[in-house]
Amino acid sequence: MTSSRPVVVKRMPEKMNLKQARKFLKEVEPFLVSDRPQIVFDMSQVRQIDAAGIDVLLRCMRAAARHDGDLKLASLSPQAAVVLELTRAGRLFEIYETSTAAAKSFSCFLPNAIKQLYEQPLDTVLQMPAPEPPSDSAGLAA
Amino acid sequence: MDVRAIVLIGGAGPAESIAGIPLAYLDALGRPVIDRVQQRLKNFGVSCITIISDSSSDNGPFSHAVAISPSLPHLYAEREQLWQVAEDTFLKYAEGGADLVLALRVGPYVEADYEALIQHHLDRHCAVTMAVDDAGQSLEQFVLSASARNDAAALFRNRMARMRRECAPFRVRGYCNRLRNSADLRKLALDGLLARNEVRPQGTELKPGVWVGASARIHRKARVIAPAFIGAHATVRAAALITRGAVLEHHAEVDCGTVVENSSLLPFARVGAGLDVMHSVVGFRRLCHLRQDVEVEIADQTIVGMVPLTALSRLAGSTAALFAFIPIQLYRGLLASSQRKSAAKIPECPDNVTGALEAPALEVPATGAEASEFPSQLAVARRYGDE
Repeated sequence: MTSSRPVVVKRMPEKMNLKQARKFLKEVEPFLVSDRPQIVFDMSQVRQIDAAGIDVLLRCMRAAARHDGDLKLASLSPQAAVVLELTRAGRLFEIYETSTAAAKSFSCFLPNAIKQLYEQPLDTVLQMPAPEPPSDSAGLAA
Repeated sequence: MDVRAIVLIGGAGPAESIAGIPLAYLDALGRPVIDRVQQRLKNFGVSCITIISDSSSDNGPFSHAVAISPSLPHLYAEREQLWQVAEDTFLKYAEGGADLVLALRVGPYVEADYEALIQHHLDRHCAVTMAVDDAGQSLEQFVLSASARNDAAALFRNRMARMRRECAPFRVRGYCNRLRNSADLRKLALDGLLARNEVRPQGTELKPGVWVGASARIHRKARVIAPAFIGAHATVRAAALITRGAVLEHHAEVDCGTVVENSSLLPFARVGAGLDVMHSVVGFRRLCHLRQDVEVEIADQTIVGMVPLTALSRLAGSTAALFAFIPIQLYRGLLASSQRKSAAKIPECPDNVTGALEAPALEVPATGAEASEFPSQLAVARRYGDE
C-alpha cells in the first residue's frame, strides 16, 4: 500500500487559544480543501491548548475527512496529551511519536511508531518523568 | 518422519472460557485460535491432527457462534474422559505408524518452532520433551516418542502436569499467550494488530492499519482509526467511532454514535446506540471490563445484545423490521398530526404606551461592549450563568 500524494506537516504554535487557533486555521485551510489531503500536525511546541484549539483540530479533521483525506497528530507535548485525553478528543486521531513516522504512516502501517496510549493506564502514560534525586557523590562534591 | 498431533481443548474447568465457550474456539482477528494453531502445525509438516475437546464446548446456547473448519477430525469427550480419549488417540497413532506425537493443550497460544522442538527431542533421546517459557513454566506442549507408551499414559493421567521421567525442557523463544481469560484473548488480538505475533488479520487492509473483512459494512459517517480490525459481515453504523486497537469480530454490530475504544467485540456481539465501550471485551450478552477486572451480564438488548446466530433468523429479523417500518412511516406521513409546534403568539403592542413603560424602572449604565449590542435604555438582567 503506497501513496504518492504529498504529506503536509504543520507545526502547531505554542499557544492554541482563540486568537492563535483562528490564525492557525486560516493557515492550514488551503491544504484542507485540496483533494484527499494528508496532513500531520506536529504538536511538540504546544504548551497551552484550550477549547478553541481542540475545536480547530476537530474542524480540520472534519474538513480533511470531507475531502477523503486524513489528519494525524505527532510528537505530542505532555500538556497537549493531557488536554486531548481530558476532552476525549485524542481517540479521534492517529497519534504518532514523530512527524516522520506520521508522514510515513500514510503509505504503510507502522505499529511501533503509533503512540499506544491504550495499552497502559492513562496516569502512567501521562506521568511526567520524575526528576532524578541527586546522588550522594554529587552532594558531597558540592 | 511421521509426526502427528493431538490438540486438547478444555481440561481447565470453567476457566479459559467465555459464556461456556472455550477461548480456543473464539476468533482472534477473524479466525478461531484453534484454526490458527492447526494451520501452524500443518505448516511445520504435521501429517495428522486430532482435536479433542470436552463436551461443554458443543452444548452451550451460543455453540452456533463458533465456526471451526469441518475438515479437522474433532472428538468430543465428557469432561472426565478428556485425558482418557487423548491416551487412546496416542495409542492409535502409535499403532498407525507415527514416529513422534505432539501433544498440546489450547490453553496457551504458543508460537513455538516445532522443528527445533523435535530436533531438541531427538538430540537428547528423550521419551517426552516439554516446552517451557522463559521463566521455565510449562506451556503444556510436549513431544512424545511413539514407542514411549507408558510415558504418554503417565503424562495424560497426570493431566500434563507431571512426567514419568524428567528430561531437558525446550525453551520456546517465540510468542506465548496463556489465554486464561478474556483479557488474554484481547491481548492476543491486539498483539496481532501491532504485528507482535503471527496472528494476521483476516481481511483487506483498507488503509494503513485498518483491516476489513468480507461483506463488512461501514457507514460513510463512521470513523475508523488505525489500528483496527472489522471482521466479515460486521456492521458499523453512522457516527460510530472505532479507535485505539478496537477489534470487531465477524457479524459484530456497532450502533449509531457508539465509541469502541481499546475493546474487542466477539462474534455476533451487538452494542447499542450512543454508548462508550472502553477497555472491554463484549460478547454473548456480557461485558468484561479489563481495567476493573469485572464481568457483567447484561440483559438489556438495547445496550448489549446478540445478532441472530443463523442467516435465516437474521433474514427473518430484517424482513420483520422492514414490514414494521413501512406501516409506521405510512401512518406518520399520512395520518398522524404534525409534531411541529406553531410559534408562540406575541401579544400586539398596545397603541397607548403606559407610563410604566415610558421610563425605565432601573437605570443601568451600559459598558462599551454592551452599548454596541443593546440600547442603553434596556436593562440586561441575565445573559450567561452568573453574569
